[in-house]
Amino acid sequence: MNLNPKSNWNLNWKHRVARAGRAAVALAAPLILFSGCASSGVHNPRGVPVTQMKADERGFVAGTGVESQDLVAVTDKMARSILGVPEIANAQGVPRIVLEPVKNETRFPINKDIFLTRIRTELNTKARGKVRFLARENMAVLEKERALKQSGQVTSNSDPNVVEFKGADFFLTGKLQGLTTQTSKGISDYVLYSFQLIDPRTSDIVWEDSAEIKKQGLEDASYR
Amino acid sequence: MNLMEQTLKRCLWSLLALAVAVLTSGCASGRTLSATSWVRTGDALVDGRNAISNAPPKDKLLWQCRTAATAMRRGSVLEAKQILDAVILRIEGRFQGDRSARKARSLFGEESKKSFIGEPYERVMAYYYRGVIYWMDGEPDNARACFKSAMLQDSDAEKKEFAADYVLLDYLDGLATSKLAGDGSDSFKRALASAKTVPPPPLDSSANVLFFVEMGRGPTKYATGEYAQELRFRQGHSDSRVARIVVGNQTVIANALDDLSFQATTRGGRVMDHILANKAVFKSTTDTLGNVALISGLILSQNKGTQEAGLGIAAAGLLSKIISSATTPTADTRAWENLPQYLGFASAHLPPGQYSARIEFSDSSASPTARTTRLATFTVTDPRKDIVIFVSDQTQ
Repeated sequence: MNLNPKSNWNLNWKHRVARAGRAAVALAAPLILFSGCASSGVHNPRGVPVTQMKADERGFVAGTGVESQDLVAVTDKMARSILGVPEIANAQGVPRIVLEPVKNETRFPINKDIFLTRIRTELNTKARGKVRFLARENMAVLEKERALKQSGQVTSNSDPNVVEFKGADFFLTGKLQGLTTQTSKGISDYVLYSFQLIDPRTSDIVWEDSAEIKKQGLEDASYR
Repeated sequence: MNLMEQTLKRCLWSLLALAVAVLTSGCASGRTLSATSWVRTGDALVDGRNAISNAPPKDKLLWQCRTAATAMRRGSVLEAKQILDAVILRIEGRFQGDRSARKARSLFGEESKKSFIGEPYERVMAYYYRGVIYWMDGEPDNARACFKSAMLQDSDAEKKEFAADYVLLDYLDGLATSKLAGDGSDSFKRALASAKTVPPPPLDSSANVLFFVEMGRGPTKYATGEYAQELRFRQGHSDSRVARIVVGNQTVIANALDDLSFQATTRGGRVMDHILANKAVFKSTTDTLGNVALISGLILSQNKGTQEAGLGIAAAGLLSKIISSATTPTADTRAWENLPQYLGFASAHLPPGQYSARIEFSDSSASPTARTTRLATFTVTDPRKDIVIFVSDQTQ
């Protein structure tokens, strides 16, 4: 037993300092925890380099609306489906198709022509001449060119007075319809993409197919 | 008090001071851009453009909204279109998860630190303005899509009788549908049912000149409660309730069909209001606990036998006070403050020709004198194509 009072005081002092140290850690830990330093830091403060993605993959920036992966999935399906139609597959000549504007009845403002443009390019690329599309949206320019040829202002390889503009064997058109549900938690959007091939001579719908996509998103509570 | 106790006390206070410094210092990595980091010119459009470029990212959409409204009123439709496209993209992308929104929910994050996307009545107006521009551009189906999306923003009101009750949005949905060879009667019926004072004009799909009219200054926000945790809406004001439009040999009346102050104040509570209320309770409780512990601790520390325990309790009390002061239940009062008070609509059927329309804003259709007058000139070339005129009695 150490009876030296000074030595006892030293021991007590060390003990008390150790205890104060432990208290310091105990106090500092929750304070640092609560100070919220980590949450006010910025992830990727220099930004993220541009990420190239495939058009048919869902990116890390996504909403519940019509997106590129939907466009690709829907138009791929439609192009494949059109090629299987007997009127196209077994046609004697090459059927001519005219694109009619798509009707948008969803809640999403979109560039509707993009669907038909992709179906057309898919068919032109993969159908190997089984169908042809008529450039009706360029009629004004085409008529002007024909008039120039007819007046002899420009040369022509064939008789410009013979009408060679082809008529449509089929009209391709589509419709986008939507159903939306919104609650205090979030939103659910369902979009039905339907496309038709119409015979203008008989008004028969010779082909129709559809694709449907449903998306849901939950809102952060601070925006509810 | 011996030397040792004094040393211990000093240690404890130094530690607490350090803790306070840590707590209040914040982090250097947070981007702090002052709202006055650009020179204000007094021109709302110029200031808006500068603010979009220079304001803190969390306020960017707010400035975009304000600037778009000003651009619409000044006839800078292309600029408004580009801005509103960005606004709508952001609104539609809000399901991505937002770090600032998560932080706004935390005890120590202010609500106003979250990225602004507006309350539903504000989001409605972003879609509404974009819909008007789509119609101007000859795309009534995309305009209708915008009006549908606008209505959706108002569809989850706590008070169901006030959910999706904009007269004009249903009316325009019906009108666009009629013009696209559809049946707009259901939408028109909903518009009639929602009309509180004046019914909308009958659906006329042959009308080829459409007047979108707005009047007055819309609602703004303020906060009440002990910690300003309760979001409130200040009613807007308008001297006009009616626009009388004289064009060609016709006179048409655009009544105030929708009241944005009514829309802002009838939705009921938000989920965020409950979060803020909880924060306020936490702030109040920790403050009270801190007071009690601090006083008790200081009293106990006077006694030699309970000195250490007293200091510990006092330290806990101080910590509780610090936590309380760091808790921020303040409601976000940022507002799209240049919205109109009333929305109105009128249409006319005009044959091809050049026209100058005179739009007279007054407080009632019977009022002999107009408070404000606007002129709009336009040309009808193809009577099957709609001409859209957007008129406001405000300029900013």
